[in-house]
Amino acid sequence: MRGKSKLRDPGIILCSVLVLVAAFVLIWWPKDIYVMGISLAGWLMFSSYFVWLAIGVIYIFWIEKWEKK
Amino acid sequence: MQVMETIIIGLYVFLMILIGIYFAKRAHSSESDYWTAGRSINTFVGAFALFAALASSSSLMGAVGSGVALGLPFLFAYGFGAVAILPFTLFLVSGQIRRSGVSTMPEFFKQRYGNSVQIIAVCIVVVGMTFYMVPQLTASGLIGSYVLGIDYTTTVIILGIGFTIYAALGGMWAITYTDLIQGSVILVGMFVLSVIILTEFNGFGSLLQSALEVTPHFGDITQPWMSYFGLFLAFLWFGIVSPSAVMRNFASRDARTARRTAVGSCLLYIFVFVFGLIIASAGASLGIADSLSNQDMIFVSVIEHFMNPFLAGIMFAGLLAAIMSSADAMLLAISAGVARDIYKEYINKDASEKTVTRLGFVIMIFASIVGIIIAIDPPGLIAIMVGWVGGGLLSAFGFPLVLGIWWKRANTAGALAGMIGGSLTFLVLVITKPFALVSEPIIAAPVSLILTIIVSLLTDPPPVEIQNRVDSYHTDEPINLDKIVS
Repeated sequence: MRGKSKLRDPGIILCSVLVLVAAFVLIWWPKDIYVMGISLAGWLMFSSYFVWLAIGVIYIFWIEKWEKK
Repeated sequence: MQVMETIIIGLYVFLMILIGIYFAKRAHSSESDYWTAGRSINTFVGAFALFAALASSSSLMGAVGSGVALGLPFLFAYGFGAVAILPFTLFLVSGQIRRSGVSTMPEFFKQRYGNSVQIIAVCIVVVGMTFYMVPQLTASGLIGSYVLGIDYTTTVIILGIGFTIYAALGGMWAITYTDLIQGSVILVGMFVLSVIILTEFNGFGSLLQSALEVTPHFGDITQPWMSYFGLFLAFLWFGIVSPSAVMRNFASRDARTARRTAVGSCLLYIFVFVFGLIIASAGASLGIADSLSNQDMIFVSVIEHFMNPFLAGIMFAGLLAAIMSSADAMLLAISAGVARDIYKEYINKDASEKTVTRLGFVIMIFASIVGIIIAIDPPGLIAIMVGWVGGGLLSAFGFPLVLGIWWKRANTAGALAGMIGGSLTFLVLVITKPFALVSEPIIAAPVSLILTIIVSLLTDPPPVEIQNRVDSYHTDEPINLDKIVS
């Protein structure tokens, strides 16, 4: 099953997505752009909460599809 | 003394102790019951329990207080890492560590790396979890002394003993079901407070405007980049390196339930930061941050300003719920580390389950006393103290654990080097303070990673049995526990 290639493990793939999203926010870091008086860097971090939830849900569906196979 | 609030808090603590007494007999009937609630917890209960275990005083008081004191983006950085805990842990370790069949994190280290790594792990767990209790006790002292009108020290002692009683009596059973109630109280309380605030300000836009008028830096990035990155890293890894969170994974009835529990907790945790944003904005609009002797009290000030005594009492109970639901899980991790991973493993292998659970009970009392003594004169802001412990655990455990699951070549020598090297680097940085606030794991964790890899490669590979075991973590074939190699 998943032991065949660890790089194709849904956990590794989605973990990479998480790292990429976090890297995007932390590298861009638009601290001097403001929206509603709050730094955009802050809003990007806040928006990421919903990305984290979404990839968690995707993981459940993906893993259970694998298990059914 | 605030009478109504005191009565509500008193009733709340009494109810929690009753739950501990209710579960005492079942909890002490077997080790599986005491440490993992018989591995039988369902998704709904588990999601609230895991969320409550993770959302401690720092997620509420600490995040709101630091959001007002250091800018809203600092609160957002909190959630940036904290909400990611659940999926990150799910992706990297949850399923694999469940397949190992262990009940505690040190037990996993013993199975994967051997006795020496397990012993070091236990020492770090016990010290780390004891220190992690300090900010929880600090928060309980701040709330209790304010509400009950008793001095801080006495309040720390009374409330510390309160949560220790039900945790020690009822083990993981009591902790799980008190967490269910506590998680609900946290969310309902924060929701009600948020609605009251938004109603008073006629919406979020004018709330934010008011906050910025009174506290001009509220929207700014006020700290160096490394502080936000360090906070993100320390919280992100918390579900992997925190023994209390790891033990919650083992309590789920099966893998499917464990996955849903993690995602359910993620959703609940998002609510905390959405409500936290509203509450912090209200705190900033009050303009009291500079006048408070302790900026962790901003949340308390907001409650007192916007809520009537009855609702304020419930919200204070919610804050205490956040504290107790995390502290009880920490106590359980400490007692499991000593009673199960040291005493039963090395001192008295023939100890009965009753002896081990009773010893666990005693260890909890002792650890609580140590935590209380330190909390009487706490060393820093709640958010900073929690950041230290999270960063310290990451620097010690993070990479030896993850590499142990995903890289067959990681061996005992590498794990030891990573754990000890990472811990020492972290301690040196905390003491010498060469960098920005809570940024120590940015250096110490990579040191741990590099040491684990290099020392593993320079020494002999692990035995074939261990390498096969690592493969077994990634499949659903049953594990033959008779082949455990110590």
